[in-house]
Amino acid sequence: MAGQGVQRREVLRMLAMAGGVATFPGFSKWSIACGHTGRAVTRIKPATYQPIFFTAPEYALVEQLTDIIIPTDDTPGAREAGVSEFIDVMASRDPDLRRNLRSGLMWLNSHSESLHSKQFLRLSPDQQIALLEPLAYEKKSRAGEEDGRKFFDRIREYTIMGFYTSKVGLTELDFPGLKFYSSSPSCPHQDDPEHLHLPPPQS
Amino acid sequence: MAKQIYDVVVIGTGAGGGMAIKTLCEAGLKVCALNSGRQLNPGEDFRNHRMPWEMKYRGFGDPKTHPPSQPGFVDTEYVTGAWELEVTYTTAPGTKWMWPRCSAVGGKTNFWGRSSARFGEIDFRAASLDGYDMDWPVTYDEVSPYYTRVEKMIGVASTVQNRPSNPDGSYLPPFNFRCFDMILQKGAEKAGVPYLPDRIAQLTVAHEGHPACHFCGDCTSGCEVGAFFSTPWFLLPKAKATGNLELRTNALARSILVDENGQAAGVAYVDRSTRHEREVYGRAIVVAASCVETARILLNSKSRHWPTGIANSSAQVGRNLCDHLYGTSASGYLPQLVGQPSFPDNVGDNSISWMPRWQNLKDPHEEKFIRGYSVYPDGGCFEFPSYHDQIEGFGSSFKKEMKRKYPSTVSFTVQAPTLRSDSNYVEIDPQVKDSHGIPVPRIHFQWGENELKMWEHSQQVCAEVLRSAGGVLEDAGDEPEIPGYSLHETGTCRMGNDPKKFVTNRFGQTHDVANLYICDASVFLNCTDKSTTLSILAFALHTSEYITQQFRQGEH
Repeated sequence: MAGQGVQRREVLRMLAMAGGVATFPGFSKWSIACGHTGRAVTRIKPATYQPIFFTAPEYALVEQLTDIIIPTDDTPGAREAGVSEFIDVMASRDPDLRRNLRSGLMWLNSHSESLHSKQFLRLSPDQQIALLEPLAYEKKSRAGEEDGRKFFDRIREYTIMGFYTSKVGLTELDFPGLKFYSSSPSCPHQDDPEHLHLPPPQS
Repeated sequence: MAKQIYDVVVIGTGAGGGMAIKTLCEAGLKVCALNSGRQLNPGEDFRNHRMPWEMKYRGFGDPKTHPPSQPGFVDTEYVTGAWELEVTYTTAPGTKWMWPRCSAVGGKTNFWGRSSARFGEIDFRAASLDGYDMDWPVTYDEVSPYYTRVEKMIGVASTVQNRPSNPDGSYLPPFNFRCFDMILQKGAEKAGVPYLPDRIAQLTVAHEGHPACHFCGDCTSGCEVGAFFSTPWFLLPKAKATGNLELRTNALARSILVDENGQAAGVAYVDRSTRHEREVYGRAIVVAASCVETARILLNSKSRHWPTGIANSSAQVGRNLCDHLYGTSASGYLPQLVGQPSFPDNVGDNSISWMPRWQNLKDPHEEKFIRGYSVYPDGGCFEFPSYHDQIEGFGSSFKKEMKRKYPSTVSFTVQAPTLRSDSNYVEIDPQVKDSHGIPVPRIHFQWGENELKMWEHSQQVCAEVLRSAGGVLEDAGDEPEIPGYSLHETGTCRMGNDPKKFVTNRFGQTHDVANLYICDASVFLNCTDKSTTLSILAFALHTSEYITQQFRQGEH
């Protein structure tokens, strides 16, 4: 259709107008942590982030926890996505979250002290994971650690929120939205409506 | 200076107000439209094309100012300052009511869900069929031509389906089914439930000068190209082009002014930008402020002629409040799609497919409840993977499972109508006033037995559809959303032939005050299982042409 091309161009022009990317002072990683591979990201040396709410030791602990929850493996993780920055920003605007996280971090360190006579960050990676597992998995849960479980739920939730709203996280999922499609995307398996014969899934 | 008198003053610029404004202006009448909030600028205010990381709080909104009592779509970072947070309301003890209101020009049409099914004879004559309440004062054959004209104006994508509860209209090509639709459709077939393309006011092809949808999938944050119906994109520009419209923004209506005979003479309002009290005069007044707000304005319009509120001699203004019960009646995932590549499955944001009312069609008392409900399935690759709650733990295994599950999740939203009830209504709170000194509405509302039976029924059926499709049910939905969430309030100024029992006649003209009209869902007898906007548009068109006729006959 002749008219269609003009309209499409008009649409694209309007999209371009609306799509200005804002940058915010104080965030070192959000706008740059956009590589598809871990290698591309680690080449960038971001400026050191200055936490708004957390103290330096608290912030280091938050960063380590987010890294354990969504680690850097064959794809980038929470660290590259700047998740701890996101949590710091959200906490700085939310008194309830501030209270919960601060008391939770204290609980974690005192729990670590009582088990290993060391603060959490001084434990070996295996010890850190062993300490968190009872907080994260129902089958491994132990009496007396209810406060810790609540805290872990909270920091896990905010790690997920921060990671899957970052460019790294949505690249990980291969988010297909906010693109321009010329027709309504359609199921590509019309000959297999029940989808019983798809190619083998990714492991 | 002689005071200016407009032909018509219209309160509200949403679906009903927008249609009235356009129709009246095109008929050559001088219209002053009042809108309680600001004008949006789509290029600036609609940030639906921003990725979450391009916003300071990732689209969740500033935790310090985001209202915790409101649903997620209110005042996120995608649109700011469009939703009403200042003008308050109260709830009676025991009532839970969530009342998101969009005060920007265009109202909720800026962000609506776009599902656009016609009401049918089964709805208009429901009382005759099952003996509950009263029939509408119109027949489907009378309303049908208005639906046809509205569908042509706004563009509705769907298919002809020949369903007894859902009269067909004239449609643009439908949205295509996504992978999960194909799978669920097979499941629905086995469960004996229809699974079809929804009726959705979204342009699958360019239509009447509006561009086709580009399927980005973030419709409910507003569309900056106007590829789905909203009054600022579709109706208000046409009204403006006539030169007959004056639009006043930040104009919060306080009450209807009356003349010495008790007829409507104008509207008293607050200019919210200066906090000054203002008046505007018209030969006829159209109230289209949305159901609860319209009742508030009428009830607050007390005078010696109308001691209980204007047009309220029936004592029915504010009564009969109905709403749609909304809830996720089942959610889970389809193992067939686990680990498959992501697919643009969130294209239409929602409402691409539906399970239109299939209950009580042959016999109105077939089920344990009367009337019926519809279901909207949804799923696929959303912007945010909210299924994270279903995956335990942390580490690489968690991260991999999140990715594998991404294309596979599905859920079912039920839309079930409440029946009218004496205990569900709006009144004016005798004590509380908002920050402009306007007495606020107080809402009385509880779910009734009939709609709760529909909710239970929908949980069982949706679970069966999911299981029959080979899916895994993860959550059967504990409770429905709290009332008000659907934004589909109806019934506070019902239409009917008997002036003792109804507020308006079948034309939306109030029985008591001949030059006062209602153009929103408050005139509906009840809410049916269908969404309200298309019908608001059709009835508002009907009413507006009747008003025009009254002017031509010298009545106003």
